[in-house]
Amino acid sequence: MANDYYSNPKKESGRKLKSNVFAMVCLVISSLAVVILITLLATIFISGGSWLNWEFLSGVHKEDNPEGSGIGQAVLGSALICLLCASVAIPIGIGTAIFLEEFQPRNKILRSLHGLVQLNISNLAGVPSIVYGILGLTTFVYLFNLVPSIQVNKPIPWEVGATHFYQTKTLGRTFVKFPAGDREETSIKLTQNEMCVDADGNTFELKLVDKRSEAPKDPELKKGYALRGRSASRLTERSPWYFHLPLGKSLLSAALTLALVILPIVIISSQEAIRAVPRSIREAAFGMGATRWQVVRKTVLPAATPGIMTGAILSMSRAIGEAAPVLAVMGGVLGTTSGIKSLMDQTPVLPVTIYRWAGDENAGFENASSAAIIVLLGVLLIMNSIAILLRNRYEKKLS
Amino acid sequence: MSSSSVSETGGPNFVRPNFPVKSSARSHRNQAIMVSLLIGCALVTLGTTVGIIYMLIKESMGFFAGDDINLWEFLTGTKWSVGRTQGKFDYGIWPLLSGTLRITAIAMILALPLGLVTAIYLSEYAPKSVRAILKPTLEILAGIPTVVLGFFAVKFITPNLLAPLGEFKTFNATAAGIAVGILCIPLVASLAEDALRAVPRTLREGAYGLGSTKLETTLKVIVPAALSGIISAFLLAVARAIGETMVVALAAGSSPTFTMDPRGPSQTMTGFIVHTFQSESVVPGTPGYYSIYAVAALLFLITFGITLIGQIVRMRYREEYN
Repeated sequence: MANDYYSNPKKESGRKLKSNVFAMVCLVISSLAVVILITLLATIFISGGSWLNWEFLSGVHKEDNPEGSGIGQAVLGSALICLLCASVAIPIGIGTAIFLEEFQPRNKILRSLHGLVQLNISNLAGVPSIVYGILGLTTFVYLFNLVPSIQVNKPIPWEVGATHFYQTKTLGRTFVKFPAGDREETSIKLTQNEMCVDADGNTFELKLVDKRSEAPKDPELKKGYALRGRSASRLTERSPWYFHLPLGKSLLSAALTLALVILPIVIISSQEAIRAVPRSIREAAFGMGATRWQVVRKTVLPAATPGIMTGAILSMSRAIGEAAPVLAVMGGVLGTTSGIKSLMDQTPVLPVTIYRWAGDENAGFENASSAAIIVLLGVLLIMNSIAILLRNRYEKKLS
Repeated sequence: MSSSSVSETGGPNFVRPNFPVKSSARSHRNQAIMVSLLIGCALVTLGTTVGIIYMLIKESMGFFAGDDINLWEFLTGTKWSVGRTQGKFDYGIWPLLSGTLRITAIAMILALPLGLVTAIYLSEYAPKSVRAILKPTLEILAGIPTVVLGFFAVKFITPNLLAPLGEFKTFNATAAGIAVGILCIPLVASLAEDALRAVPRTLREGAYGLGSTKLETTLKVIVPAALSGIISAFLLAVARAIGETMVVALAAGSSPTFTMDPRGPSQTMTGFIVHTFQSESVVPGTPGYYSIYAVAALLFLITFGITLIGQIVRMRYREEYN
């Protein structure tokens, strides 16, 4: 009977063996992740590695011509949207994080707001990005239909930075333009003399005549005359700060939508960075009579900045890889003829380009797509390395 | 105050406050202004949620307002086609919902066991050298854009892994499911590892002290103790898989089917939304346009509900050990 208190040596070794076998199985299963990653990278590099050259990096998309297509516009578009998105999301995110971490209100209403915001953020982080895309489409692109939406051949409801002209042809076969004023038609008939500007920038009065014979014979003088009733078509010149409401399918809409997507991530990582700042530093500042805001601005924020920046960069790398919200807001644009002139233009971005090329019937775009993936992964690698460098520096300083 | 005094106390140099400060009426007014600005920032996130819910309800009501479509048919119908067929609309969600469920199921069969085993290995077994490889690998895998995994599903998983196994279509639920599973593995692994690591040392030491092997300690003490955290990790992974968009848009095809066959194409709810936007054929105000919102509302409800349950489970778990 006393034997029962001691373990059976045979059984003992069986249990140990089991434990060791389990450790091996765990190791094998865990290393599947490494195998998957290597397979994925190998597939992409074999398919796209040889396509990487300067023409590809600087070119634009061409229909049915994968060899001649490039990602210049998409890279530029992605960079611009990412910067815009960061400049919106990061300040708001840091502000929210400070509010949640440093200002615990005593007021009952504010305190319930506090709890609600905190709960809401963790829920928002779980909302699928395509739902944000639909939100962006409804709010930014169509503005909840509060104002008439932008339509082809209709004047835009509200805009800034655009000058409208009508362009017409003179009897001297030159093109001149004159300000549109209050007229909104896409095409008008000339009925009165107009102050015109010609291609060289000279201003003069365009005189109307009923017949060609009424105009002077001299070809130079003929440039100041046009036939009455000749049609003039509307021409719009947009400045770089061109802006309209609703925002329409523009890169600004896409950037704002992506800002909403990454906002919860920015907030959560900033909160963690702020929480990591030792209490003693705050208390020292309070002891010197600083107000709470002074404590935050002069001690907490400087100490938390590296951590906040790490989180911000990681969330930007999330934004740069997101395709679904951009597809919803801007549509699957692959290229524009005029390039980006203002924030109201559409632009291709890298993930959408990859998506469209991967789904293209022309098999050559498969290689172009993998080459674009290599570029995207390269950009992400650089951003993540910067984030890791920042994190390491930060950890050294606080310990 | 001398500026070099702080480092003597052991505090880090770069957080040296630029004091003295004056707590004047002005600094209190500044504080009031800043606090209201901060509250404004915090309201943006609340506004986002309110905006999503308002938009989904308002536009979905537009979808169900007409005589052609009612909520019951939407929730029970087994045929989905955009536009009229024989004078009536077929907006039954089940083909799309079943596509989502099929792909989520395949993804979870892959991701839950693999993620959990990886988490157990990382938390209980892994020597430093293995950890130094495994942890960054998982982080890189988690950071790969989903559109890249969609590409991987179409160009590698279907032709190289599935084609030898049987009659798989070019676009099929299995490849998409595997790719979604791959992107859920790091999520499950890191959340479950956090849960396992949060189990107090004393529990482990108690088990070892009673003569348990590592396996027995892990499976009989630590995993049960961390169970609520692990379940919440699983639930978050399910929500992530249901909401996953670009992988299914690329790899699962664009025909809504109501079957159990994992070899054929299966459009999901998210896939339908993306394909509709991409085709740019929807005109605002038509049932086809409103159907996006109805599908998105259901998607939001499902993912929001699962995330919420996951949080509740995790919060209960937190109470246990404090």
